[in-house]
Amino acid sequence: MPENDDNVRDMWSEDELDRALAALQPAEDIDERAYHRAKAELLVAAGGREPAQEPVRTAAPKRRRWAWWAASAGTVAAMVASVLVVQTVQLDNAVPSAAAVEQLNWAAAKAVSVDEPLAPGQYRYIATHAWWMASMNEYSYLAENLLETWVPADEKQDWLWRRDVTGARKWVSGTEQEAREAGFPIDEAGWPEGEWRAPCGDWFAEEEGREPCATPGSWQVPNAEFLASLPRDTDELYDRLRADTEDRGQDPDLEMVVYVADVLRTGLVPADLRAALYRALAKVPGLQITEQVANLDGVHGTAYGISAKGQRHDVIVDPGTGQFIGERQVTEEGYENLPAGTVTEYTSVTTAVVPAMGVRPQG
Amino acid sequence: MSNVNVTAVDEAALTRLYDEHARDLHHYLARRLTPTVADDLVAETFLVAWEQRARYDPARGEPRAWLFGIATNLLRRHARTEAATLRALARSATRADRAEYPDVASRVDAARAGPALAAGLAALRREERDVLLLVAWAGLRPAEIAAALNLDDRTVRTRLHRARTKLRTRLKEDHHV
Repeated sequence: MPENDDNVRDMWSEDELDRALAALQPAEDIDERAYHRAKAELLVAAGGREPAQEPVRTAAPKRRRWAWWAASAGTVAAMVASVLVVQTVQLDNAVPSAAAVEQLNWAAAKAVSVDEPLAPGQYRYIATHAWWMASMNEYSYLAENLLETWVPADEKQDWLWRRDVTGARKWVSGTEQEAREAGFPIDEAGWPEGEWRAPCGDWFAEEEGREPCATPGSWQVPNAEFLASLPRDTDELYDRLRADTEDRGQDPDLEMVVYVADVLRTGLVPADLRAALYRALAKVPGLQITEQVANLDGVHGTAYGISAKGQRHDVIVDPGTGQFIGERQVTEEGYENLPAGTVTEYTSVTTAVVPAMGVRPQG
Repeated sequence: MSNVNVTAVDEAALTRLYDEHARDLHHYLARRLTPTVADDLVAETFLVAWEQRARYDPARGEPRAWLFGIATNLLRRHARTEAATLRALARSATRADRAEYPDVASRVDAARAGPALAAGLAALRREERDVLLLVAWAGLRPAEIAAALNLDDRTVRTRLHRARTKLRTRLKEDHHV
């Protein structure tokens, strides 16, 4: 111990003071579960929030939830965000471009012949089965989401939208038992469920204080006017897609597929436009048949896809009818717990004409 | 789909930020408050960071300093908890048995200084304590603190100097008691 004031001053140099402070109250490391849950929660919150212009007072979230990869009900765009599905495909059996072009043009020719017009009072019914991923820590599973839309002949009338997390799960990483034993709240539904009604399918207009039907159509949320405005000529449509996808996405060619899939996924695309979209897609350099007989929950079709930036996006078409069956995304590089070849993003779409809102097709 | 992609990129960045800094932030906040309060504050810090991400300017410093700045602002609502933590610490012996004190003498000195240090910290003005502990516990440089707390560089240095002087005086007095 120092014996006089000078020694005291020497001892408590800045450095010594900092070292004494450093020794004061060493804290325990964060509890691992608290760490991972806070992370999952953060991702949920981030998915549902937009950046504020001004600082916003935020209360710390109280509930622990999974990270839902396609979580937000806030925007339709978020609803169709990338999701992951437990299915793996072979990566090395793609059929070269020329055959893809030929077959897709063939599908286009078939597509023109199938379109069911709506009689007054009838509704177009669109069912989308989406397997979306929830992940927390090393556990990931896919949950089946059923999205059903009833669209009136006059789009300015009320549409109906039902969302349901069916409870079906596929484990991608870890098992249900392991996750339960580790204490993760796997029974908590994460995606919004319920029923919405709104003219033009503008579900959140009221909530957001907007007039419904005022938003211009887009590839992601098309309206009749937008769909009518798209060229049916192959080259013109191709150019339009190039222009609209410019500087978007991760890769120009990949984004062409993404946009085509976006609009086809809505189930609202008339047959002539569907055919034109297939022809335009066939022009995208590098398009391949990635699987001759792709299986989307028991429905089979030809998968056409583009690979770029370690991922692949496929559009799946029924070769017999030219009907759009669904789409999927495949990781080609692997991602954390997911090996290369894991199918990522997977939705299947079916449409039908039904006699009334809320009525499902027979059979 | 472009909006979605932008969101995905941001979320990836957010995940990375969390992975890189959450433990560090928790460590800091748990020392100043309690581990339980720190759990909530870490989550809150990242939520605020997410909401204010458009306002983050890389030219003004590393994201780490920015996050500690947010945490420091949030911490101000927990003044009572911090005061209670420091009071408890001032009454108890400090663990100074860590590797950074290789020789026995300095270990003993640091351990003896613990209660006085805690009392000294409790007596500091809040803004002085913020700056001092961001240096001592978070390892930030004064310039980084200035950017993170939106203060003038000189203000930070002045507060740091005052905080150190007060603590040293306190330790010296304690020694003579």
